[in-house]
Amino acid sequence: MSAVIEVTGLRKAYGSNEVIKGIDLSVESGEVISLIGPSGSGKSTILRCLNQLETATGGTIVVDGFDLTDKKVDINEVRRHIGMVFQHFNLFPNMSVIENIMLAPVETGKKNKSEARAQAQALLERVGLGDKADARPSQLSGGQKQRVAIARALAMEPNIMLFDEATSALDPEMVGEVLEVIRELAKSGMTMVLVTHEMGFAREVCDRVVFLSDGVICEQGSPEEVFGNPQQPRTKEFLSKVL
Amino acid sequence: MHLTQPRRGLRALVAGSLAAFLLLVGAAPATAADEQNGVEGKSFIIATDTTFAPFEMFKGGEVAGIDMDLLKAIAESQGFEFEVQSLGFQAALSAVTSGQADGVIAGMSITDERKEIFDFSDPYFDSGVQMAVAASDDEIAGYDDLEGETVVAKSGSEGLAEAQKLSEEYGFTVKALDQSATMYESVKNGSAVAVFDDYPVLAYGIAQGNGLKVVTDKIPGGQYGFAVAKGENQDLLEAFNTGLAELKESGEYDRILDTYLADPESASNGTFLDVVADSMPALMKGLWNTLRITIVAFIIAMVLGIAFGFMKISTSRILRGIASVYVAVFRGTPVLVWAFLFYFGLPQLTGVKGDIFWAGAATLALNAGAYLTEIIRGGLRAVDPGQMEAARSLGLGWGKSMQRVIVPQAVKISTPAMINQFVITLKDSSLLLTIGFAELLYQAQQIYSVNFRTTEMLIIVGIMYFIVITILTWIANTIDKKVNK
Repeated sequence: MSAVIEVTGLRKAYGSNEVIKGIDLSVESGEVISLIGPSGSGKSTILRCLNQLETATGGTIVVDGFDLTDKKVDINEVRRHIGMVFQHFNLFPNMSVIENIMLAPVETGKKNKSEARAQAQALLERVGLGDKADARPSQLSGGQKQRVAIARALAMEPNIMLFDEATSALDPEMVGEVLEVIRELAKSGMTMVLVTHEMGFAREVCDRVVFLSDGVICEQGSPEEVFGNPQQPRTKEFLSKVL
Repeated sequence: MHLTQPRRGLRALVAGSLAAFLLLVGAAPATAADEQNGVEGKSFIIATDTTFAPFEMFKGGEVAGIDMDLLKAIAESQGFEFEVQSLGFQAALSAVTSGQADGVIAGMSITDERKEIFDFSDPYFDSGVQMAVAASDDEIAGYDDLEGETVVAKSGSEGLAEAQKLSEEYGFTVKALDQSATMYESVKNGSAVAVFDDYPVLAYGIAQGNGLKVVTDKIPGGQYGFAVAKGENQDLLEAFNTGLAELKESGEYDRILDTYLADPESASNGTFLDVVADSMPALMKGLWNTLRITIVAFIIAMVLGIAFGFMKISTSRILRGIASVYVAVFRGTPVLVWAFLFYFGLPQLTGVKGDIFWAGAATLALNAGAYLTEIIRGGLRAVDPGQMEAARSLGLGWGKSMQRVIVPQAVKISTPAMINQFVITLKDSSLLLTIGFAELLYQAQQIYSVNFRTTEMLIIVGIMYFIVITILTWIANTIDKKVNK
């Protein structure tokens, strides 16, 4: 299998403050990786560079064959292949649940309204919220909101999914329902990059774990290697605090 | 001194008119002068005061009064048409000098200063200033009693000039006000002890029960003339003089004056309800103008506000700069300045006559647009940035994201502030009375300048504003609740 994400020498600075200091990362098709590390280590920034919510200040990012640093590339087209799930859900409060999911397929001309509605309903069933189609986002619990957000991202039928701390803003009793949906996605063969603090979950579903510290990759490997037998002192120190 | 100067000017004027007349007659072998008068079939805009009864006054929604009746009779005999613009005295003079109007007739005294800028007709009325005090006042019986007191007179009038001349000798203070009705009110309520005004105006007001009495003899002087801008519209001036002479000869002139001065019918003997009933048609007309100009102005303001609001959140420093300058200029200057500038200033610069409705609408729109810019910018900024990120991450472009996700939320956030701005603009529209736009408060002024029921009229208008604003706010809030669930 070839790499669907190929990051080379990625750098990102805010003014004089460099937060990503040269990252090489490649993700194979169907691979599930998680980025872990202390806060401020640059996990989320890397994730946001992958769909250009942040513009890299150096290096190249090739996603699905598109070179994101090439100005001629239509970033909107690239983003339609990459689903993103945010920590704070970011559902559109001016629309009903099903309208949230239908918006992108209809607006980008991918589907007509009735196709989009049928697909959205199917996606809601898949995340266990078939009866919430006409609810407003404000009427949902945090866990439900995040499941809708996942359905919304899936509506564009992406081949890559990015999860930016998808469970961090949830009450503990709602984390499980969201992780269950992500677990199902992983089993279906979706290529996924997760930024997460759920170490147990990362160990369970991921093919590879990448430990970041101070804007560089400190250590990476299978969950067994990284969690079971960390090599770097900083990895050990971090894991001892969170496990 | 004031007596002789106008006369000297008058002689020159008469001589000039005569010369022009002879020239006309000599040049054309016509038999009747008015067939060759150069105004036949033409239409003129004549500016006038709003509140100078019995020379200018509103009756049943129409401008009436000595000036108007004379002008009508002259226009008829000389075969021209005219449109009246009631602007207030100073504004009427500005309208003529700026070319907004062709002539002015406003109980205007012929003075040397004014002759520098205007060409006057033959005098059509010999006036004179008199002093009046409150009817209940037994202390002020003459100029000697004025020491240390304050008197009022009308801005730019002969009355003001006379009062100022006397003020040094008798040691009183003179305050200039814009309207007769306001002057009489301030004498009645005691903020001034006396008013100096032209005697026919005072006499008419007292006959209408304005609560004053005359205590001095008339200071002779002050002849009234019709005027055009210096060197302009000489045909019109000519026609006025010819017509006036004809009226005096036929006795029509005396008949018109008697209608107003000999035994004026009183308009103020009704109850409050009579006042309401009598004034309602004119007030409703004013209310319609108020609503019309507010709605048109607010629609333009929304377009401006949206355009500049988006410029304010743009990444381009130039666009942000333009929007900031716009907001700073129109938020940092009074509405009135722009009203005068658009209506009087712009025509002088461009030579194009301004339209009062559009001058007023532009004034309100640019002012409200500046506030709406900030309201809309604030609304757009208040939407969580995560909303834009989520929309963009789905592959929607910036425009689509704005249209479907950001703007609907921003509108919801901004709606209460927008409704508020609409109400402010509606109230601000009353400022346009200063350029003579016939909105609600203007109509009220017209009415109380004739019937002197100032307090009652202001209460009626206040209630009308309150009712309309309450209803409109209720409608807006209801729509807001329905649309922005």
